[in-house]
Amino acid sequence: MQIVRRMKRIISAFCVIALCVTLLLEGCASAGARTGGDDTVVLRWVTYQTDDVPLDIKEVVRAANAVSKERIGVTVDLEFQPSDKLNLMMASGEYYDMVFTSSWVNNFDKNATAGMFYDITDLVREETPALYETIEPFWDCAAVNGRIYGVPVLKDMGAEQMLRINSDFFEGEMGMEIPERMELKDIEPYLAAYKSKYPDKYPLDMTKAGPAGYMNFLERVVDTLIVLPFGEGQEASEVVPFYECDGLVERFRLLHKWYKAGYIHPDAATIESTANDKSIPVRFGVAWKGYQGYSNPQDWGFNVKTSIYDGPFLSRSSEQGAMFGICAACDEEHALACLKYLELLGTDKKFRDILGYGIEGKHFEYLENGTVLRTQTGRDRYNLKLYPTGASASASVESVSPTFLADPDQWKGVYEEYATDGIYSAINGFAYDRSGKEDIIAALSAIYSDYATELRTGTGDPDVLIPQMKKRMEAAGMRELVEDVRRQLAAWLESSRS
Amino acid sequence: MNKTEKKNKIKHTGKKNRDLTLMSLPAIIWYICFCYIPMFGIFFAFKRFTPKPGESLFTNLFVNSPWAGLDNFSFLLRSSDMPGIMFNTLTYNLLFIILGIVIPVFLAVFLTELHSEKLKGTIQMVMVLPYFLSWVIVGYLLYAFLATDEGMMNHFLTVFGKDAIQWYQSPKYWRFLLIVTEVWKSSGYAMIIYLCSITSIDRTLYESAVLDGATFLQRVRYITLPHLRPTICTIFILRIGSILNSDFGLFFQVPLDSGSLQSVTQTLDVYVYKALMQQANFSFSAAASFLQSIVGFILLMITNSIIRHIDEESSLI
Repeated sequence: MQIVRRMKRIISAFCVIALCVTLLLEGCASAGARTGGDDTVVLRWVTYQTDDVPLDIKEVVRAANAVSKERIGVTVDLEFQPSDKLNLMMASGEYYDMVFTSSWVNNFDKNATAGMFYDITDLVREETPALYETIEPFWDCAAVNGRIYGVPVLKDMGAEQMLRINSDFFEGEMGMEIPERMELKDIEPYLAAYKSKYPDKYPLDMTKAGPAGYMNFLERVVDTLIVLPFGEGQEASEVVPFYECDGLVERFRLLHKWYKAGYIHPDAATIESTANDKSIPVRFGVAWKGYQGYSNPQDWGFNVKTSIYDGPFLSRSSEQGAMFGICAACDEEHALACLKYLELLGTDKKFRDILGYGIEGKHFEYLENGTVLRTQTGRDRYNLKLYPTGASASASVESVSPTFLADPDQWKGVYEEYATDGIYSAINGFAYDRSGKEDIIAALSAIYSDYATELRTGTGDPDVLIPQMKKRMEAAGMRELVEDVRRQLAAWLESSRS
Repeated sequence: MNKTEKKNKIKHTGKKNRDLTLMSLPAIIWYICFCYIPMFGIFFAFKRFTPKPGESLFTNLFVNSPWAGLDNFSFLLRSSDMPGIMFNTLTYNLLFIILGIVIPVFLAVFLTELHSEKLKGTIQMVMVLPYFLSWVIVGYLLYAFLATDEGMMNHFLTVFGKDAIQWYQSPKYWRFLLIVTEVWKSSGYAMIIYLCSITSIDRTLYESAVLDGATFLQRVRYITLPHLRPTICTIFILRIGSILNSDFGLFFQVPLDSGSLQSVTQTLDVYVYKALMQQANFSFSAAASFLQSIVGFILLMITNSIIRHIDEESSLI
């Protein structure tokens, strides 16, 4: 009897405490939308934190706000958050106006299907036509069931797969020639040449992440598990598990061959980073035409030439590389303010450069050809990747040194190439609704991660590993998942054709 | 006992209790904030979490999310590896519990027999040090030994004319390696607890035993171990409670997440991490940790009641 009474007392005390805290937290959560003193709209803009938050961020945002307030009456409260915090923020219903979303951080398709984002289809066409104009023809990747839920960030929308090759060694010492384009397998003689000269070294750069963007030539329908090869793949029946995709398995075999030949480090499957190893003569890269970041001899100690081996591939996932979503709980005033702000970022280069590079004279200088050079202060105190704060293509192009000038019209060339040579995915606009199959996807992801590093680094023999993996994956429900994807895709194709 | 005496006693205990309660207040607050309040998260395990933007976590969890029954647990059963995962989790934990008691007790007993205080202090410090290293660092220390090219082990092997081993691709060595690493890292710290209990044993017991002609082993058997029994039981019960949990650092960071080793490194925590890394699915993760806690709780209660039947003083509750 006494115990029961005591239990009752404990439970009631617990309830009271829980209630108090709930009320407290509730109070925190609803400290929502704000407006500035006058008519200015203040937006809470949460973006993805790629590296450390730059030291001078407050100063730079203040400078940007001064401009945007005068031009469109909108200021921002810019905040950087890592991936897990973004997920938590979305789930906990925290108030924000604009958030970073993409195919790889804070998944766009998942959030848009769940109704987390504002439907901007009509608003963007009617109220901010200039913004609509700049992003055309990339709106498809932001559409779910024909409605637009996000604003794609214009950057390298397609993936250009390249090899970064030490030209001092191969061209200078060995007298070989590095073509502008080659097949991946054509790099083999170069690797062999280096290996025969330095038998103790491993010429092909490899970390546990595998070759940069090694799956970019496939449309990844469900994570990396279920893919659709590019090109003619119009039919839903061509959607396959990744291990049944011949092109990919061939790649794995090629890498394993190189691994056995000693071109790849024997511990590649466990190496986190090789960034400091300047001796590696061949590296993988994903970039765009005219990108200079790989070629600065000051960074490497030797000259680097890039040779494209694949692409550019434009898929839903590559085009979703960076986007901004507007919170579905925003009122129209705030949603419009977000779009107006993005429109200003997308159309005014000078304004875009503030968030991109910092304050002119302090963090960067304009060079005479119109490109940008970061100053030492800029490198130390405001060194930020471009895409978290807006379109890369709307900002000025960065030169890596005053003597090594970039092409100021680089992006025009990039987009022209996409239009002419781009290899497009046939199912852009299709977002797989994974509800009900999440347990299968979770189980498959776990199995996938048991084999993925071995396969993509070449460490394991695909002809041994893939049958093992296939057996386990089929036991975990791969067939069921593929059938479901095909069913949804067939329905989508049906509706988009009619 | 007359009335005034009784009154005095109650008064006394009341005051004493108040002071003691006040002292433990920070700990109580800490527990309420970080252990009791977050308990509402259990509901995540039984709900299909479908948040609506702009509403608070509580509305989203309790109002907007429909009940899912046991659906969230199904991802654990989906994988055909579950028996292997459970086997790994349980055997490693049982071994760690046994070794985590035997070895530190052994060390503590011998350390108390050392007469040189300086040597004792040095040994103690050296043994405790690994506890303060993070698993990431331990992982790379081990890598220095086991790297295929530059690793010390393979240097030794080649010096003696043997073939180099690709350690991170050879699962057969890893059960042993993981156990050794865990024991190396944790036993020094665990030893301190036993060392304290031994120090608190009345020295005169040992002196009279020596006078009666007891050997060293007899002294350990009849004086030290019986005095350590409550401590050992407490630690045993506590560790049984976390039998389905595993040290993520040990099983994920130390083998450097090498896929070839998964058959011996995959424990429940590692599986959950791998399965949900890309998903941000709070309901599934809550379901997994609910399972761990509930199994741990049941086992803890069972062990405790068994121990209470054997020796009431050594049990916890």
